Amino acid sequence: MPASREAWAVAFATQSQSDWQVYGRLAADPQIPACHELHYLQMACEKIAKAYRCRDTTANLDDLLTRHVGFAKFIGSFLVSPSMKEAYRGRDAQLREGAKLARALAREIEKLAPAVDRAGSPENAEYPWEVGEKVISPCEYSYPRLSLLMSAGGRTLLKLLARAIQEFEPPSPA
Amino acid sequence: MNAPRTKDAAASRLIQWHFSVEPELREVYRIVLDDEGSQEGPIRLLEVNAATVPTGSIEPFGFSPTEEIPFRTVIAEITPEELESLQSHPEALPEGWSLSRAERFVRPKSS
Repeated sequence: MPASREAWAVAFATQSQSDWQVYGRLAADPQIPACHELHYLQMACEKIAKAYRCRDTTANLDDLLTRHVGFAKFIGSFLVSPSMKEAYRGRDAQLREGAKLARALAREIEKLAPAVDRAGSPENAEYPWEVGEKVISPCEYSYPRLSLLMSAGGRTLLKLLARAIQEFEPPSPA
Repeated sequence: MNAPRTKDAAASRLIQWHFSVEPELREVYRIVLDDEGSQEGPIRLLEVNAATVPTGSIEPFGFSPTEEIPFRTVIAEITPEELESLQSHPEALPEGWSLSRAERFVRPKSS
């Protein structure tokens, strides 16, 4: 019998949490090039999105496992989830304010995966890419579009991600 | 805040809140499936939001109940252009989902 949807959901959430912890360790060490922490951040994001995607019981499991799941779309849905409604009770304006940057940064994180937007945004966290006659190594790149991760809005996104990982509950068996 | 007793009331409260915190949210389709009458069946929302990114696919994500919204919730976001495409290609909707059966909520003029 193949593994259940619930088992996959839990496994994706568990791996996301582990990736998130490694991200934290790498980000704390200024000697390590930024690409490595961003690689783990992107993986944590993709896997937690898959875990929540597995909770939609109308979705075909094979499709879920093989197709890319958009982290930017996940963040959009998570921002208006019942959990966030409770967390931001009485602070709608603050949520509105943070959501715009969170969405933009989520899209930039998503694009760190080499396959997502190779033509439009080749600056990924894993493999070298070409710029004119030069080839850039990720470990020598500074990722200026993600510098806002350390701003207040960026920290909001990281808190959202931490919250999504922490409060994940597996789906009920069908 | 008291929890709504019915799934309809909870869905309505959640949708109104979405309009208040998402300035680019144009309309919301509450998807109705055969399990709608059951307490276990989730509230399913397809949200048309100009602030989301187009991906060409519909990705519903499932969320747990809370004290205030005591029902499971499934939310998918699409852009207005993706909605247009769906209207001519409804087969792209998740299995069992239908726009013609859905309850449509448009953005209140005041929000």
